[in-house]
Amino acid sequence: MRFMAFAFKNLFRRPLRTGLTITGVALAVAVAVSLIGFNIGYRQSIDVSIDKLGFQVMIMAKGCPYEAATMMLKGGTGLVYLPSSTYDKVRSDPDISAITPIFVGVAEKEGSGISDESASSFAIISGIEVESFVSMKPWMTMSQSAGHQGGRWFADEATGEVVLGFEVAEYEQRKVGDSYYMSITPYGQTEPVMSEFKVAGILERTGTQDDGTVFMPIGLARSLFNRPTELTIVGFKLKNFSGFALRQFEQRWAQLPEVQVVGLQQVKTTLVSLVETAQTMIASVAVVAIIVAIIGVINSIMMSVFERTGEIGIMKAIGASKSDIFQIIWLETMAICLGGGIGGILLALSGTSLVEKAIQSLIDFGTRGSMVAITPQVMLVALLGSAVVGCFAGLYPAWRASSMRPVEAIREGE
Amino acid sequence: MSNNTETMVAPIISARGLKKHYQRGIETIKALDGVSLDIRAGEMVSILGPSGSGKTTLINLLSCLDAPDAGELLIAGRSVSGLVEEELVNVRQGVLGFVFQKFHLLPTLTVAENVELPLMFLRRAVDREKTLEILRQVDLENRAGHLPKELSGGQMQRVAIARALITDSKVLIADEPTGNLDKANGEAVFALFRRLVSEKNLAVIVTTHNLALGGLADRIITLEDGLVIDEHLRQ
Repeated sequence: MRFMAFAFKNLFRRPLRTGLTITGVALAVAVAVSLIGFNIGYRQSIDVSIDKLGFQVMIMAKGCPYEAATMMLKGGTGLVYLPSSTYDKVRSDPDISAITPIFVGVAEKEGSGISDESASSFAIISGIEVESFVSMKPWMTMSQSAGHQGGRWFADEATGEVVLGFEVAEYEQRKVGDSYYMSITPYGQTEPVMSEFKVAGILERTGTQDDGTVFMPIGLARSLFNRPTELTIVGFKLKNFSGFALRQFEQRWAQLPEVQVVGLQQVKTTLVSLVETAQTMIASVAVVAIIVAIIGVINSIMMSVFERTGEIGIMKAIGASKSDIFQIIWLETMAICLGGGIGGILLALSGTSLVEKAIQSLIDFGTRGSMVAITPQVMLVALLGSAVVGCFAGLYPAWRASSMRPVEAIREGE
Repeated sequence: MSNNTETMVAPIISARGLKKHYQRGIETIKALDGVSLDIRAGEMVSILGPSGSGKTTLINLLSCLDAPDAGELLIAGRSVSGLVEEELVNVRQGVLGFVFQKFHLLPTLTVAENVELPLMFLRRAVDREKTLEILRQVDLENRAGHLPKELSGGQMQRVAIARALITDSKVLIADEPTGNLDKANGEAVFALFRRLVSEKNLAVIVTTHNLALGGLADRIITLEDGLVIDEHLRQ
């Protein structure tokens, strides 16, 4: 028999205690793995969502950069607008390689969805200039799945056509050529005006907020919202995108009244920093859970050592050296911690969707895709962490057991 | 064992003037106060005496589980005085085998695994055939796969004896091996000891309260207050 097999058999002598101790470690590891996974996943999610905006810099009305970012990511309310003259001024900037104006508005949906509930819902409308917009988002292509064939972008001068994001079409069960109704309250009026549109195309899923957006020509959007000379955002790509170029660009255009220049790196930093406080708190909980688990492991192994005092004495009498006893107890501790580590990883993996739902219900920054990324590296780190914890947690009980004098241990055990 | 053999065979254990004193408050307990004896291969020695006479202390010293305060102890010709614990482990390994009153079998291991346990500590390969042969010698061959809880007291003690034999020990040291057994099982254990002495040329040292069983040994040593008060050969 090998020492490892012997250690395993010892653990099964008290299956309930061993199970509870492993569960304690598993819970702590699961919390830690979920936290690290969230940290990675959230950053990736922010990166993907912002990168898929398609532009590196945007100009928008002055306000909180966080609001600006989330407005772009999830639509948002309380929209503020720029004069369209801003677009005309900025487009001549020599550092710009691409530029697109966007008008964002919110329409009310009634009666056209799959649900006949009287309660209304909202649709985010993006008024765009097709050519410049699509050149910044080349991944936005028309879906060719059943009912979506023959889709196309609308002409900029079209007055009754929209392109639906994938999720809008799915939720509303619209096909290409179907009618689509929205009620829009024009600026300066109190009563909404219902309009009928023809679905010109349905986009492939992008995993971004675009999936939940209704696109229409920018001129049409401005007209429907009665804001013929306004814009929400102007998006840019710079010829040489760097911190220096961005600062220079900012300096040039920040002088315009009521305008702010927002780099998307800044938006990412802002969004990440917003959850760092929460992450610190969760990390504290994870650290406490790990400490409690370590104490639990030490306590459990110490109890086991004391219970087996006589047995340890016998093992020494029949030939076990100090290092043999140390090895046995230490292996038992390692087995518990590694078992807990594996259990914790499995727990974290199986609970990912729950954690995501919980996080998204608490903090919705409009990011799409998985917010908890439990990568192989995270699992490896968790496993190594469990092993390190096992190494240290096992030291004292193993030392206590190996230091017992056989004659006294046998006497105590009887 | 005859006197002739005693003079011909070198002792495997030789003790001279062993002393072990304990302090209890201001009182000094002389558990052993100068015990000398020789144990040779092929003899069975009983150590008798009332509780507190020093039997277990003597056994612990002869087993190298404890160190004497004074005196000289040779195991297989090697002086063990002043050796540290790890060195004593080396002396014990392969020379001394132990049987205890409470058997001390590991409950999660089968009979065969319990018997083979010392091999793990000696880093020796397990030879299941040899294990079964030893279990055959103690009449437990058909119990190899059983757990200790499935055995009677007498059977458990025989497993403990098999465990002591697996390393080819030269001396079997048994401290009150029949203390937890009924009369029939006690006699069976002593009969087994006798058989091992004659068949395997082992030296067996056994402590007991039971005068009748003790009288089955080749030599009977009686202790009282830490001193040998009588030593005689079996009639």
